[in-house]
Amino acid sequence: MTYELNVAHLYGDLMNTYGDVGNILALNYYAKQMDVHLNVQVVSLEEDFHAADYDLAFFGGGQDFEQTIVAKDIQTKKAELIKFIESGGPLLAICGGYQLLGHYYIGADGEKLPGIGALDHYTLAQDHNRFIGDIVIKNQETGETYHGFENHQGRTFIGKGERPLGNVVSGKGNNGEDGTEGAIYKNVYCSYFHGPILTRNGDIAKHLLVAALKRKFPNDDFSQQEALPIPATF
Amino acid sequence: MSLRSGVATFAGKSSYWFLHTFLHGGSSLPGKITLKLDPQILRSLGAKYDVIVITGTNGKTLTTALTVSVLHEKYPTILTNPTGSNMEQGIVTTFLNAKNPKTGRPLAVLEVDEANVIKVTQYIEPKAFVFTNIFRDQMDRYGEIYTTYQKILDGVALAPNATIIANGDSPIFNSKELPNPIQYYGFDDQPDSDFKAKPNTDGVLCPNCQHILHYHTLTYSNQGKYFCPNCGFKRPELTYRLTQLGTQTPTSSQFDIDGHAFKITVGGTYNIYNALAAYAVGRFMGVTPEQIAHAFTANEQVFGRQEVIDVNGKRVTIILVKNPVGLDQVLHMIGTDPQPFSFVGLLNANYADGIDTSWIWDGDFEQLADSNIPTFITGGERYKDITFRLKVAGVPDDKHIVEPSLEKVVDRIQEVPTDRVYVLATYTAMLQLRKILASKGFIKEGLGV
Repeated sequence: MTYELNVAHLYGDLMNTYGDVGNILALNYYAKQMDVHLNVQVVSLEEDFHAADYDLAFFGGGQDFEQTIVAKDIQTKKAELIKFIESGGPLLAICGGYQLLGHYYIGADGEKLPGIGALDHYTLAQDHNRFIGDIVIKNQETGETYHGFENHQGRTFIGKGERPLGNVVSGKGNNGEDGTEGAIYKNVYCSYFHGPILTRNGDIAKHLLVAALKRKFPNDDFSQQEALPIPATF
Repeated sequence: MSLRSGVATFAGKSSYWFLHTFLHGGSSLPGKITLKLDPQILRSLGAKYDVIVITGTNGKTLTTALTVSVLHEKYPTILTNPTGSNMEQGIVTTFLNAKNPKTGRPLAVLEVDEANVIKVTQYIEPKAFVFTNIFRDQMDRYGEIYTTYQKILDGVALAPNATIIANGDSPIFNSKELPNPIQYYGFDDQPDSDFKAKPNTDGVLCPNCQHILHYHTLTYSNQGKYFCPNCGFKRPELTYRLTQLGTQTPTSSQFDIDGHAFKITVGGTYNIYNALAAYAVGRFMGVTPEQIAHAFTANEQVFGRQEVIDVNGKRVTIILVKNPVGLDQVLHMIGTDPQPFSFVGLLNANYADGIDTSWIWDGDFEQLADSNIPTFITGGERYKDITFRLKVAGVPDDKHIVEPSLEKVVDRIQEVPTDRVYVLATYTAMLQLRKILASKGFIKEGLGV
């Protein structure tokens, strides 16, 4: 393959609910079609994350208990993660990963747990209720429609610097109130979508890969990669 | 028995007789009626029995059936509950249906749903508990493995003298200090090395210090000879050890436990764990290894879940899949077939299947693409999801037939180049397929699991 990208699978051994690893598999699937080889590495507890070592990152959802452990450890990676994000590093964060990039979330026992505040959202809990079911959203800028399955207790409210990943067509979305789902900030894509998101929405995989290629090889022409057709899979 | 319990028992027994005689049913309704009349009925019904409770995510049914077979070698009368009746009402019905034992103190071996353990121990102090495993179940929409285990322990707390017979390879069963006597069973057939479980594995945090566990040996998922390099937490001493793993095929497994040779007529490493659990209970209850070996081979019908259906000369095996750990184990098991075979994956997402299909991405379909399977067929109501899963796993388009309609899947199965066909299906897809096979005369009944 002509190109190589280094992918950090953040806490891949702890944050791995509901088939979220499928996002890595889908990234690989589309990367191959773009003539790109991915080196995927799990970066977990007590391991360093150096922003300069990675071209792309994925951060999945986890069980409540695992997420509380990750919430503590991720503070040690906070500065480098912010550096990665601010310098345009492409990152996909799902569910718990999405929550931990924000200011805080409310854990299963009602405790307020800090995130890393890299993005301007926060997450509240809801009592004895979860948003569970199929969800469809539409991104107003690209006109793309995304399909997923949501399953979350958290209600997330995005901040001023963030745009939603899409507006809810059917389903609940970020919080069941404001009609938004997910968040986009620079090259960071956040969502509550399982399914997993990239297996049903190859366009997002393409956006992430193209952004990573352009950032790593600024002098190369990636118009062919950008033109890769993504047939519907759902 | 109090007057109230007597009336309740009579009402339940009569309703069972009525339902059984006239409606050919009656697995939980008699229990429901009896419980309404006397919520504490299990206290009087269960008092006569030595009870063994078998619980966990996977393997409850087969472990229960095998344990009953093993114990029958020594004990003439054993009460047990039929498949699917593992909640309070079904258990009450099981006791109601029992004939009054003539002599001695009979045994009851009960498969009990994790959350229903406490509904049994409120009234009955079991002689033993068996913990098979706790995995994340995709059906478990709220459940995490820790909350599931806590539910079991809430029940166990009411029976502090009962012996726990637990899967020692599962770290969660060593995570809490309990007053009960505990015996562990596990695999001990490999030399030690040092590695971590693969990234997409659930339950790999050390319960003491929350570092990632390492393994000296690992069977599948997070089960094995685990240890924590940070705090020294490790697998407990095993009372019952699988000392050698022999030949495995999809329909047979050979292995040694504590140096004694055994054979079971079913494949899958997960079924060896079930046999190991049944062996452990047997030994605990004084059954000899020779008797256990006899029970394993003499009761082939307990493994009757994977029936082979003749579809115009094709040997078709239908296997139910419902969660990622089970799926991985089935994929591994069919891979042990020495004969060539074709693969069919049927996916639905109705309530009984689990409405979220994400879990198929936790299954290691990649191992199929690496083998020499000549034909893959995908179908079912969610055929698009399973089709893309196989595509991403590396199954080439020229070997892959996409056929949403199960009627046509049955036609296509008859055209594959192999004699053997494995069909992996979710629950409602399996029922639909069996109905079609029945309508075409390949099987007699439309139902049955």
